[in-house]
Amino acid sequence: MKVCFKITIGLLMSIRTDLRRSHYFAHERVGFISAGLSACGDGLLVLARKYRPLRDDEYLLDTSVGAMMGPDAIRRALQWAMQDGVALFHVHTHGGRGIPSFSGIDLRENAKFVPDFFKVAPQCAHGAIVLSDTAAHGQIWLDRSQPHHVISSFVQVGVPLSKWSTA
Amino acid sequence: MSRLDRQSFLGSDSDAVLEAATIGIVGLGGGGSHVVQQAAHVGIGGFVTVDPQTIEDTNTNRLVGGKRADVAAERPKTDIAERLIRDLQPNARVLSIRDSWHAATDQLKTADVIVGALDSFKEREQLERFARRYLIPYIDIGMDVHDLGKGFLVSGQAILSTPGEPCLRCCGFITDDRLKREAARYGAAGGRPQVVWSNGVLASAAIGLIAQILTPWYQHPPAFVYLEYDGNKGTVSRSAHMETLTECDCPHHPSNETGDPMFDIREHKMRRRGDASAPGRLTSWWRTFWQFMRSSH
Repeated sequence: MKVCFKITIGLLMSIRTDLRRSHYFAHERVGFISAGLSACGDGLLVLARKYRPLRDDEYLLDTSVGAMMGPDAIRRALQWAMQDGVALFHVHTHGGRGIPSFSGIDLRENAKFVPDFFKVAPQCAHGAIVLSDTAAHGQIWLDRSQPHHVISSFVQVGVPLSKWSTA
Repeated sequence: MSRLDRQSFLGSDSDAVLEAATIGIVGLGGGGSHVVQQAAHVGIGGFVTVDPQTIEDTNTNRLVGGKRADVAAERPKTDIAERLIRDLQPNARVLSIRDSWHAATDQLKTADVIVGALDSFKEREQLERFARRYLIPYIDIGMDVHDLGKGFLVSGQAILSTPGEPCLRCCGFITDDRLKREAARYGAAGGRPQVVWSNGVLASAAIGLIAQILTPWYQHPPAFVYLEYDGNKGTVSRSAHMETLTECDCPHHPSNETGDPMFDIREHKMRRRGDASAPGRLTSWWRTFWQFMRSSH
């Protein structure tokens, strides 16, 4: 299935700015993007709405990874998905330019926690996004028990409008 | 050497960017037909053109591409638009919808930019709301002729409404009062005056905005643009709203309205599989809403 992720320049810039803030022990910051969904032919449009970063006290001390989310962070995200009935995407940045890739740890952790969102919002798709300073790459699950899809294209909506394909 | 060489200042990859782009044009009369023609000239590759009407004799004072033979043939405006496009872009991806735009929402969703060349404020507001819901920049163009008693004032506007930026209501172009007055006039006989030269100016402004969105030729172009046309003075100028609304956080189209309100990924997957137990082809919520509104009148 072709999946297109659309996000306004303003929201994307505010996410990048927020993720660049340093944390007193975590090496990187993470957050969640909520989104609405729409069918587009046989494909799917993911239309970003809002961003919520993890609070400083929601990170766990774990030197083996860039950032480890604590249970409160996951609980708050699950609550957001359930109460607002939204698609939720975990987001972090690797910086740099061009289309980024998930690390092995990212892939392992995404597969562990993203499917849990279907327990509270099974009507939505959920996933994870990794940003660079100029592009993004993402995974999306359409079902708890099925393998993920790669988000095929991104559209940064604004002036200028930019698009890139990743699958 | 390509036919687009003289616009290479738009960027080394501008031909490919324009070719890959799809624009939706709603209303193919005086303003929309100009937009179609110029979009084909600049090399736009994808078109969703929408208009329910056929050309009439009184359209030929301004409908670009329309011929007297088309009037005799009762040719749909969408066919005339497609002919204009294909003469310049034979391989263009054209979806012609001879219907209200409310019946073309599935196709319009695929557009990178939507241009509305509509007469009614109500339709403009609804089309802008649709564009915001699917995160599509919307450009509104329109002209009017006002009777001053001792002459006429020809005026118009081209407004770029980008998701996350000020909208047609933020800048006072759409107001409850205007909608009320329009509703009171509903059904009044006679078409509003329209002339080709004003439509041409405004359509050109719209194409400039599309180029600015897709292939900007200078840094930091504005995401909210309100150009006011004064046909008596012969000017197109920036509205004061462009300065006063720079920090405006649009309250009319909150970000939590994106997407289909009742979307369910489980039904979407079943439809894709052609699952026999799945409900038949589901009508989009927008079309259901439109049919309900029509039937309640």
